[in-house]
Amino acid sequence: MNSPLPLTRRQFLQHSAVVTAVAAAPLILPSGLRGQNAPSKKITVGIVGCGNIADGHYGPLLGSPESIRVLAVCDVDRTRRDSAAARVNKEYGNTDCKTYGDFRELNRRTDIDVVFICTPDHWHALIAIDAMRNGKDVYVEKPLTLTIAEGRALVDTARKYNRVAQHGTQHRSMKRFHDVAEFVRNDGLGKLERIDCFIPPNNRHCGATWQPEAVPANLDWEMWLGPAPWRPYNSKGCHYNFRFISESAYGQVTNWGAHYLDIGQWALGMDDSGPVSVEGHGEFPSSGLFTNCTNVNFTVRYANGVPMHCRTRFEGGGTARFVGERGWLDIARDKMSASDNNLLREMQAPNKKVQLELSNNHHDNFFACVRSRKRPIADVGLGHRTTTVCNLGQIGMVLGRKLHWDPVKEEFIKDDVANRLRTRAMRSPWSLA
Amino acid sequence: MNVENPPAAPAAKIKKVVSANPADRYSGAGQTPDPWDQCARLEYGADRSFAWSVREQVIATPPEGRARAEEKLLKALADAARTDAGLAFICQMLAMVASAKSVPALAPLLRDAKTADSARYALERIAGPEADAAFRDALGTLTGTLKAGLIGSIGVRGDIAAKSALAALKDAATEPAVVREAATHALARLSTSKS
Repeated sequence: MNSPLPLTRRQFLQHSAVVTAVAAAPLILPSGLRGQNAPSKKITVGIVGCGNIADGHYGPLLGSPESIRVLAVCDVDRTRRDSAAARVNKEYGNTDCKTYGDFRELNRRTDIDVVFICTPDHWHALIAIDAMRNGKDVYVEKPLTLTIAEGRALVDTARKYNRVAQHGTQHRSMKRFHDVAEFVRNDGLGKLERIDCFIPPNNRHCGATWQPEAVPANLDWEMWLGPAPWRPYNSKGCHYNFRFISESAYGQVTNWGAHYLDIGQWALGMDDSGPVSVEGHGEFPSSGLFTNCTNVNFTVRYANGVPMHCRTRFEGGGTARFVGERGWLDIARDKMSASDNNLLREMQAPNKKVQLELSNNHHDNFFACVRSRKRPIADVGLGHRTTTVCNLGQIGMVLGRKLHWDPVKEEFIKDDVANRLRTRAMRSPWSLA
Repeated sequence: MNVENPPAAPAAKIKKVVSANPADRYSGAGQTPDPWDQCARLEYGADRSFAWSVREQVIATPPEGRARAEEKLLKALADAARTDAGLAFICQMLAMVASAKSVPALAPLLRDAKTADSARYALERIAGPEADAAFRDALGTLTGTLKAGLIGSIGVRGDIAAKSALAALKDAATEPAVVREAATHALARLSTSKS
């Protein structure tokens, strides 16, 4: 592997195991360097961000202690990181899990192979970039980044340092979504007419005004804000609800949009590209703590003329509906339906002309790629493209006018204001440099 | 004297109300606040409807009207009663529409530790050598984390004229690690910029 970094722990162990085997055979290797339990096969993990999104990772990460080992957790909320460490220690029956309040300390540990990034969105890019610069592979929760510029910087870093980087869009590892994307890709619906994505409602109402509150003793508020513009603490604008405040996230546009728009991108074969225009008219709250769109409505259009709509659904969860000349397919995480059951039967037919990669487990796929150094099923390159679609929708709704997008140059055509919204300056000392 | 019918009092002079909002001239409701003035006095957590009105106008302004919007934002920026939240808001608006004309007003804010981050928010998005020069000039006035942020902006902007200054900072034993590290990353970024 042509990594510009010094050997990481895993690479060192793999290298030294080979050297030892060749140069010192037939010396007996320590038991720890052989077979399934060889240290080179045990992947060590650090988790940054110990809130509700991290909760979904403990099961897969703690369930295979022979091959996966969580060594450290990090959160700016001491209560949360202590609780996370206690959970890990209880599972392992020890007290070894180390806690950190600053991700940089965790990222600089040489005995950690991969970092799971489960923080609020405004932190994703910086933590992932720092981890990869320090030789870690990363699993970055969705949405990949807050801005388009952050996404490009993250992908460039992954390529520069030859890191395995998975985007946490686990629909890519669910067979139902794979089958639909592959079926549409093979013109199973005939000529595709449109894609309709529905996402859950955005904001909970919390009043027209709010009061700054004392920062809880367990919380490092300055570090929680990090690169986001400074604002005083308010409990309704911190854990979980951060996603309703545009300084930290773009609400359900990126939260659920990252899942359903992603399947549209997959079905269209746009994993390394994107739409060519966007038009949106969202409703934004003009008062109160929350600033993100309360009624999402935007349409991106691809070069082949196919539009992908994204709208808020106030009743019911998210879905993606593919509409073609032969009928429609509607898919959600827990159900799938079609205008004609024959379409569902045809979907299972083998030997399709275009066969998409199949993964049945997002974590397994990631760890297999950490070992093989192949790109994972939801590599950050395509994650960036999907997150860009979300961003296009956000910018289109903010500006309320039709925008033309160049997916090669990753810039809006002849719209200076829209182009400025691709990025934002970060609060000191943070930057994308 | 007929107490039941006192003489009519002299008619009071009607004071002419001049509103900043042209729509008010015919409303008879008197003067209403001008959102462009009020946005500078925004407070965290308070009613932000005036700021929202300004935001809507900035966004809706066609290219030929942006210079006027920029002027109005700069006027708000100069308001002596400007608050921290107002400054942050104005700089977010300037980040969308500001030109080199805004640099003289933003440059002093960039050199002030209390206002540097808000100024960076606007200045980082302004293309051209004027903003580059403002960032370079501020290198000598800020310290610590603020200086690191400033260096980051220089790197993001790809200002190759700052290379020598950054190279010196990268190796300066007198600078804290956060500054030296920022200079290292900014130089790496500049190495891929066009000369």
